Order: sequence, then C-alpha cells, then structure tokens
Amino acid sequence: MQTNPLLSSLESVAFMAALVLYLICAALYFIYAGTRKEWAGKAAWWVLLAGFLIHTVRIAVRGINAGRLPMTNQYEFASAFAWGIALCFLIFVKKFKFDALGVFVAPLIFLVIGYASMQSREIHSLMPALQSTWLGFHVSMAIIGYGGFGVAFGVSLAYVLRGKLGGLSHRVPEEKTLDLIIYRAVALGFLFLTMCMITGAIWAKRAWGSYWSWDPKETWSLVTWIIYAIFLHLRLRRGLTGRKAAVFAIVGFLCVIFTYVGVNTLLSGLHSYR
Amino acid sequence: MEDKTTLQPQNNSVNGTARKLLRFLRGMPFSFILLGFIIAACVAGSVIPQGGSAALYTQRYGASWGGLICWLQLDRVFTCWWFIALAALLCLNLILCSVSRFGAVRRAWKSAGEKTWGVWGSWLTHLGLLLMIVGFAAGQFLAREAVVYGIAGSTQPLGDTGLMVTIDKFEVALRPDNTVEQYTAALTIANAAGETQSGAASVNHPFDAFGYSFYQDSMGWANYVDIKKDGQLVKTDLICAGEYTFPDDQPSLALMFNKFYPDLIRQPDGSFATASPQLNNPYSLYSIYFDGSMVAMNLAEPGQPIPVHNYEFTMYDPVEYTLIVAKSDPTAWLVGVASAVLLAGLFLSFYVRPWEENRRKQHADESAPQLP
Ligand code: HEM
Repeated sequence: MQTNPLLSSLESVAFMAALVLYLICAALYFIYAGTRKEWAGKAAWWVLLAGFLIHTVRIAVRGINAGRLPMTNQYEFASAFAWGIALCFLIFVKKFKFDALGVFVAPLIFLVIGYASMQSREIHSLMPALQSTWLGFHVSMAIIGYGGFGVAFGVSLAYVLRGKLGGLSHRVPEEKTLDLIIYRAVALGFLFLTMCMITGAIWAKRAWGSYWSWDPKETWSLVTWIIYAIFLHLRLRRGLTGRKAAVFAIVGFLCVIFTYVGVNTLLSGLHSYR
Repeated sequence: MEDKTTLQPQNNSVNGTARKLLRFLRGMPFSFILLGFIIAACVAGSVIPQGGSAALYTQRYGASWGGLICWLQLDRVFTCWWFIALAALLCLNLILCSVSRFGAVRRAWKSAGEKTWGVWGSWLTHLGLLLMIVGFAAGQFLAREAVVYGIAGSTQPLGDTGLMVTIDKFEVALRPDNTVEQYTAALTIANAAGETQSGAASVNHPFDAFGYSFYQDSMGWANYVDIKKDGQLVKTDLICAGEYTFPDDQPSLALMFNKFYPDLIRQPDGSFATASPQLNNPYSLYSIYFDGSMVAMNLAEPGQPIPVHNYEFTMYDPVEYTLIVAKSDPTAWLVGVASAVLLAGLFLSFYVRPWEENRRKQHADESAPQLP
C-alpha cells in the first residue's frame, strides 16, 4: 500500500520512544519498589504519561498514514491494547492514589507493547470486510475492556503478593481498598467487554449476515465474559472478596490473554476463521 | 437467590421437597453449575473441530476418544441436545430468580432514596440476558438462508423463497496496488406478485428487500464454453470455476473448469499463480473426464480449442460471477433489544447503584433503604 515515508519513519520513531519510555517507567517502578525512593514513583508516573502521549501520537500518525483506524492487525491491536492498559492505569492511579500499582501494571504494558514490536509493522490495505465503522467501535471497546481487566490483574497481583513485598507493602493500600479497586476495574472491563461483543456481533451481522457463529474467538470471549460474570456474583452473594477474588481476577485475565493471542496461534489451525 | 420469602410451615414432605427444589432452581449455586458446564462446552467446541464426520474424529483422536467425542456430541456441541438443555435451564434459573426478586427490587426502588434507579441494574441485566438467549434460540429455528450466484444480467429463483434475483451489474473496485477495495452487486429482487425492489449489495452493506438481507458474499470467474462435434456447434454453456459441462449426446465426456488465472505467472517453485486480478495474461486450468476418470489436465487461453476425439471444447470470454447470500433473521431485532437492556442493566449496576463504600455506610445506618 502507498504510504508516506516521512510519516512512516515518524511513526517508527514514536513507537520506539514509547517502548523505551514504558521500559524506563517499569524500571523506575522497580527502583521505587526496591529502594522506597519516593521520587522514583513520582518520576515513573510522569515517564508513563510521556510514553502514553507519544504512543497516542504514534497511533494518530499511523491512522493518518493508513487512512483508517489503525486497529486491524496483530501489531496495531497489540499496540492499542498496551495503550488501553496505560490509559486505564493512569486513571486508576490518580483516582485511587495508588502509585505502587505501577510496579505491577507497568511491566505488563511493556510486555504487551514488546509483543507488538515483534509483529509485522507493514501497513496493508484492508480487505472489504474489515472496512467497517462497527469494527472501529468493536476494537475500541475491546481496548478499554482489556485495559480494565489489565488493571484488575495488576491490582490482584498486588493483593496476592501483598505480604511478600517487603518494603513495598506499606505503599500498597489496605486490602479493602484493593478489593474495591479490583471490583471497579473488573466492572469497567466487563461493561466494555459486553459492548465489544455486541458491536462485534453487529459488525458480523452486517458483513456476513450472522451475528454469532461460535467461532473460537467468539466462543472464548464468551468464556471470558462468563468467568467475570461469575466473579461479580461470587463477590456479591458468596462474599468472595479478598484473596480469592484476586485469584479469580488473575484467572480471568489469563483467559483474556488466551482469547487475544492463544486463539489465533493455537486454535486457528483447527478452525477456519470465517 | 437466597431470599427469605415466606417459608410457611410445611404440611408434608413432598411439599417441602418441592419447595427445596424451587429454591435450588432459582438460586445462584445452580447458575454456577450451569455456567460451569457451558464453559466446558465452549472449551470443547473451540478445541475440537466442529461438524466433521465420525471418521475424522477416530482418525484424529483414536478410536476410543473419537468414539467418546461423538457419543458426547462434542462434534457439534453448540447444537446438541444437552447444550440446548443447559441454555433452557439457565433461562429457567433466570426467570425464577427474576420473578422472586421482582418484589424486593420494586420495594427498594419505591422506598425513595438517591439513585434508586440503580437497584434495577442487576434485574435488567438478567432480563437482557434472558431475552438474548430466547432471541438467539428462536433465530436458530426461524432464520432462513438461500444462495444464488451468477454473472451480470442473469436472473434466478432464490431457493424456495418465491423470490427472483436479477444480478444487474457486478463490479470489483480495485485500488492502484491491485488490492480489492470493494465488491458491489446491483440487484433487482422480484416477488411472486411481480413487485420489484432494486439496490446494491456490497461487503458490509447488505441490501434489504422483501424481508431478506442480500449479502455480497464472494466472487469467482466463469467461462463461456462452446462444444463442437465434427466441427458443428452443438452446445454453448456458461460454467463457473469448479463446474463442468458435457455434450448432451455424450455425457460421459466432460470438461471441468478448475481454476482461472487472470494474469498467469509461473512461480520459482514451478507452481502457477496470478500476478494481479487484471486480465493481462488470462488462462483457465481445465481437466477432461471420460467415464468418470480424468484423462487430461492443462491450461488454455480464452478462445483456444481443446480437441477430444471428434469433439472440441472452447472456453472464451471469461467473466466474473458473484455469489449472493440471502438471509432472513426474524428475531435479530429481539437480540438487539436484549443487548440494549443488558447494557442498560450493567450500567445501572455498576455506575448508578450506590457504590460499595456507600453500601457499607447504608448497612451501618439502619434507616437507609436496603438493597435487594
Ligand atoms: C451469565 C449470566 C449472568 C450475568 C452476566 C449476570 C450479570 C449480573 C450482574 C452484572 C450483576 C450486578 C453485579 C454487580 O453489581 O456487581 C448481577 C447481579 C445479580 N445476579 Fe446475575 N447475571 C447472570 C446470571 C445470574 C443468574 C442465573 C442469577 C440467578 C440465580 C443471577 C442472580 C443475580 C443476583 C441475585 C444479583 C444481585 C445482586 C445484588 O444486587 O446484590 N445472575 N448479575
């Protein structure tokens, strides 16, 4: 596909910059965790914000260069996924004043964008089925949804490892607060996952004529959805709060990751994806 | 749910058992059991290829596992009786739980307080889910599907729907780099009464007429074929790739049109491919069958005669055909409404209902309305 070389190199530079900033951010959070240096935690947040802004620019540049929403292949989606986690993280850290959350979430952001950096970055023109506004909504919902679940995962790790964190422990909020953050993050993720599945169904209906056809991706997003639904119920009625809930949120996120990567790599050989 | 609705003194044990059963059926433990089985079905249905023949499973998983898969119907999990039963039981569970909670939710809503709409959240979520399962299940029985394919100018009946489909025009829009931008078919649909509706169907933009949506599904190439016997034209046919034709007086001799290369190139490994979708170097791959076995296979340019004994086949004027899928899904609207109800319910549950912190305060303050 015809692309503007200037924009392409700008995009590459921005991508590398974001990648490096996320790495520095993760490193700063580790320093913060290991040394109790207050400045490291503060700096890490600002570095993450900088990385996030540059990342935003990169996504915009690629969108302009490709002439479409840049969320249609593994590279673009992995990058957007990292962006979504960063966004949710920035919001949750500010809202719940929980700097140490970065220790758990920043490496995750780096891992996801690192995964993106291993994918092909070529801009391909879209096959007609992918040229849909609904696909844009669908993927945007997935990004926020995955972001929410990613934050819940990070907080759950903090919860589970709470006693074993040495100096960091006193920076982790009390368990009740952690539990509340997990709930809020899962609720956000669940709402957006639901919207993601609904907009995806509308798109499938318009493109192929059936809104749900049990292909592995759809089926696994349903599995993920049910697992989080069970989580929400268990905590309401069975008082599944605290450590068990945190473990559940971790399992839920593994399911998210499997739906995202595993289905494509492990199951696609068995099923034709449409 | 374990709500404490009037447990009257039990006059006999049958009544008591019935009551217990009802309580179980509307309770959350039952939901968890059902959801657990549904998850298991989903995992099986995504790992085991669906809809294969019994032989496929014995070949792939061995005789005993393959047999087990077929016995448990894991080869068609999502349409088998036990999966449908699970869905039905989940509906029953949702209905009973919604009915039994309705009063309590309404009371909580009436005993005015701030943000009371939020108390409807989970109730609406469950209603939405219920409607969704019902709408989807009904769609499985009521949805209709039919396929037509043909070149521009052709008219054909649409299965047994009583509709006639005319493909007025078919266009493939290419980008400068020869990738496909869009496939568009202009269609005219006529019903039994002779009324017609015209419009365009392109990918992601179906055309709706007479209760059906018409989808531009795929395309391929067709060839006209002249068949001569002893130099005399005996038949002219139009066949799509994958189809065959034969002289009417000699049906045991057939020409199969296998594949079309608009812009034939030979790849380094010796195989054939097409360099572009443009008709720059068109060739058709064909094979000749006699008495059911293949006797020849080769490439032919448009207009190049293919002699076989005293017969001669000539493929010419390659043309793109389009495949149109027509679907009617009379309950899709219900699933749409269900989605809206579900989303509204989730939003109310998570963002309008008093937050956990407030709830804790409420529990401390006895005068505040309790959540159901
Ligand atoms: C997969 C299916 C289901 C989904 C997605 C679902 C979803 C939800 C959601 C989102 C909430 C609100 C949770 C919150 O505010 O944190 C909720 C609450 C609730 N659900 Fe479900 N539900 C499902 C199945 C069921 C079933 C079958 C029952 C019946 C036994 C049930 C009983 C309840 C009850 C009683 C609540 C109320 C909790 C409260 O407000 O205190 N759910 N459900």
